[in-house]
Amino acid sequence: MSAPDTTRQPATDPEQLRDDFNAVWGNPRGWRALTIVNHTTIGLRFMVTGAVFFLIGGLLAMLIRTQLALPEQDIIAPDLYNQLFTMHGTVMMFLFAVPMMEGLAVYLIPKMIGARDLVFPRLSALGYYCYLFGGIILCSSMLWDIAPKAGWFMYTPLSSAAHTPGMNSDFWLLGITFVEISAVSAGVELVVSILRTRAPGMALNKMPIYAWYILVMAMMIVVGFPPLILGSILLELERAAGLPFFDVARGGDPVLWQHLFWLFGHPEVYIIFLPAAGIVSTLLPVFCQRPLVGYRWVVLGILTTGFISFGLWVHHMFTVGIPHLAQAFFSAASMLVAIPTGVQVFAWLATLWLGRPVYHVPMLWLVGFLIIFVCGGLTGVMLALVPFDWQVHDTHFVVAHMHYVLVGGMFFPLLAGLYHWLPHFSGRMPSERLGKWGFWLVFIGFNLTFLIMHWTGLMGMPRRIYTYETGLGWDMPNLVSSVGSFIMAAGIATVLLDIVLHFRFGQPAPENPWNADTLEWATCLPPSAYNFVSLPAVKGRHPLWDDPDLPRSIAAGEHSLAVIDHGRRETWGTDPLTGKPREIIHLPGNSWWPLIASLFIGVVCISLLVKVYPLAAVASIAAIIVLLRWSWENGAHPLAAPDAKVQPGDPPLHSRTQDGPGLWGMAVTLLANGALYLALLFGWFYLWTVSPNWQVPETQVFSPWLLLASALLLSLAYAWQRRALLRLRRGDDQGLAGHLWLTAALGLGHVALLLACLLGSELAPRSSAHDAVVTVMLVYSLLHGALACVLSALQALRVGYGYVSARSPYEPLVVEQWWGYSLCVLWVSFVALVLFPPTFGGG
Amino acid sequence: MRHLRSPYNPIHIPLGFIIWSLWFVALYGGLSVACEVAAPPAEAAQWTWLNALLLAGTLAIVVLLAALTHGFWRASQRARQRPKERFVAWTAAGVNAIAALACVFIALPILSMPPCL
Repeated sequence: MSAPDTTRQPATDPEQLRDDFNAVWGNPRGWRALTIVNHTTIGLRFMVTGAVFFLIGGLLAMLIRTQLALPEQDIIAPDLYNQLFTMHGTVMMFLFAVPMMEGLAVYLIPKMIGARDLVFPRLSALGYYCYLFGGIILCSSMLWDIAPKAGWFMYTPLSSAAHTPGMNSDFWLLGITFVEISAVSAGVELVVSILRTRAPGMALNKMPIYAWYILVMAMMIVVGFPPLILGSILLELERAAGLPFFDVARGGDPVLWQHLFWLFGHPEVYIIFLPAAGIVSTLLPVFCQRPLVGYRWVVLGILTTGFISFGLWVHHMFTVGIPHLAQAFFSAASMLVAIPTGVQVFAWLATLWLGRPVYHVPMLWLVGFLIIFVCGGLTGVMLALVPFDWQVHDTHFVVAHMHYVLVGGMFFPLLAGLYHWLPHFSGRMPSERLGKWGFWLVFIGFNLTFLIMHWTGLMGMPRRIYTYETGLGWDMPNLVSSVGSFIMAAGIATVLLDIVLHFRFGQPAPENPWNADTLEWATCLPPSAYNFVSLPAVKGRHPLWDDPDLPRSIAAGEHSLAVIDHGRRETWGTDPLTGKPREIIHLPGNSWWPLIASLFIGVVCISLLVKVYPLAAVASIAAIIVLLRWSWENGAHPLAAPDAKVQPGDPPLHSRTQDGPGLWGMAVTLLANGALYLALLFGWFYLWTVSPNWQVPETQVFSPWLLLASALLLSLAYAWQRRALLRLRRGDDQGLAGHLWLTAALGLGHVALLLACLLGSELAPRSSAHDAVVTVMLVYSLLHGALACVLSALQALRVGYGYVSARSPYEPLVVEQWWGYSLCVLWVSFVALVLFPPTFGGG
Repeated sequence: MRHLRSPYNPIHIPLGFIIWSLWFVALYGGLSVACEVAAPPAEAAQWTWLNALLLAGTLAIVVLLAALTHGFWRASQRARQRPKERFVAWTAAGVNAIAALACVFIALPILSMPPCL
């Protein structure tokens, strides 16, 4: 195959091209707008929804500060106060910070890397609806006065059924898990999109720095969120079904929850910070009009932060009784993580030093960020020191530090970014005057609230107390904090007013109003649903500084993939290292399936909340059927890409190759799945080692032979399918359907044996944590095996319809990864459940 | 895409940190399990078989990471390679070097603290 022509092509009438592209990519209006899947709309929806949740979370903060303004107030009762601070933290972390940053990335990344959309647009839409419905379910609990009230980290046993018997904790566990479907799905598609859909020529060393940040953030979400998803499932199983994972009396351990939570919780801080730092690294060069200093060192700093931040989780648990040496490991890692952040700070300072900074409103927010975040980082290093942490643990000092890091490290850069990209969202410029007023009010109000709060904490005021006695020295600092918080609220109201007014009164934005260097400013303002009529080749890190004429030449169709008469939504599939086009990725169009699927998942969530389990089962099956139906419209299906014709010299459609984005998507999804399984395995070994009342049965409570037989049958099914797929890879699809049917049948045998093992066992999952973990591990494999059978059977059907063949061999290769994963997991479970116990004191 | 064994394959960029992560889990997990099943006496302070074992494991990993740093660094200096490939090797070398330093820094307390107190 010859190299595709990514150079300039003869110009076509831009008006005609725009109309033709709109016919394929355009967004419907009215109620059909619910079917929109393109990343610009979905990204904006994420951000607007995130802003609404931010206002809700902010309102809760105002109530908290009103209550604490003076001593011995009884405006808010203790129980309600518990709900307020729990929901404030929960809403800000799960419903504002992460979705907001993901929304901005969903909006920006394809444009910055020169693509027309994210690689799985329907997954974006599903993620958005899961976020929306999960957030609504969670927040609705406040209306009935049954909101979660055990703190945003839901420590057991306080959050367990014995101490919080109502639905409060269930709202958190189910609602957050629902929302996390959204986070992980966005994580998966951001990873694959960045690696596989960059503009021709955009090699790794030419990637916009923001894309590096988002790549690392997305990988962190993929690996970091599953431990919390597992923890939430286990705690909900304990609350709803009595499986005692965290109950000491029956062999569980509440500290396991802390490990699972903070395995997610500390990386979460960096999941929020990294994209914000990405905004800083993107904006500073624009407002200094020079490239970022130390691009390679910043990339190294991002990677270092991403990994080391997973080695800090125990620093939230210094007071639970862990050996001092182990604490020292985490203390050292906590200090270490400041270094890569310091490298980035010095790169920013050097960029400011060497450039000619222009202090527009975004720059004010960036300078505010630098001051506040550095202070927060320094108190972070103080808290990394074990003796100091013991002194101030659970005091307002920690609250102040946390807000310096999160508000300074996330909110300030976010506002800088919003002001920078507002002309992109709306095509209009915001007001300088209102913007500056907003900044100064927030900056002064924030520091008044939280700088003094360090002092309040050092004087010993604990967190999460609804009031305090007068005369302890806490009266004045609390009053100052409360006044400051209201000044900050006024600042945020000013910013909101500016944003709202600019849509009506803002001056029309000129092309590339800040003279930025990245490709998102090469679209029209506001952008069309397809971003670019033609996709340009990139030669350097600053495409718009290298060629300021790009917006015009792109709109004139002078670059690649400017043909649309085939009716497909297309973007380049490129090599992860070099950015060389390898295939044309055809993207799915608007669809009801994401909305319907998320509605069914919402029904599952609500029915579990109200404990109508038959309805939950029915809705789960319905959701799976909808998702499978959705997957049916793929590859050579008439609604996807039945006609595989491409322009002469162009590479083939991805569905006609053996390496499309679905393979990468499945691999990254299985990474998330593997993180969840490893967290479960960690729980098994942790409880075995540490739990004070861990009870191991004298004899095996399930048949190891049935489990072994089941694993062998699964191995046979996998081997059989692999043999057939090796032939398919060589272009031989003879008997493919039969092989896939046989694979599914063998898999069904494996499922039947596993089910027999489970049902025939003497497991008492309500009586001991040991049996509860064994049950969960077996059910996990059972579900994976069952889904593998269904997927292979569907592929066999698709062979019959002609959607899968030697010419379009792509889909069974995606499914094969699922089988391989299921096989690995089952054998690991066999070793952990059958071979490990006799060597470690078990029956 | 370059061959998996090529130092210019981007899959190698996170290699050093993956090794660091495995070492970190083994360090913390190993210490916890050892303290649970065969805790050395507290009066032995840091002069225990467990400290020695943790140090030996750390040393082995640091040597491995140093060797990887050297290999990737040399690959990044080969002038005949294109900048994008040298970037990959340079970043991988940096990641391995940082991972080695992180191992040394985090393991330092093993020299001075009793393991299970």
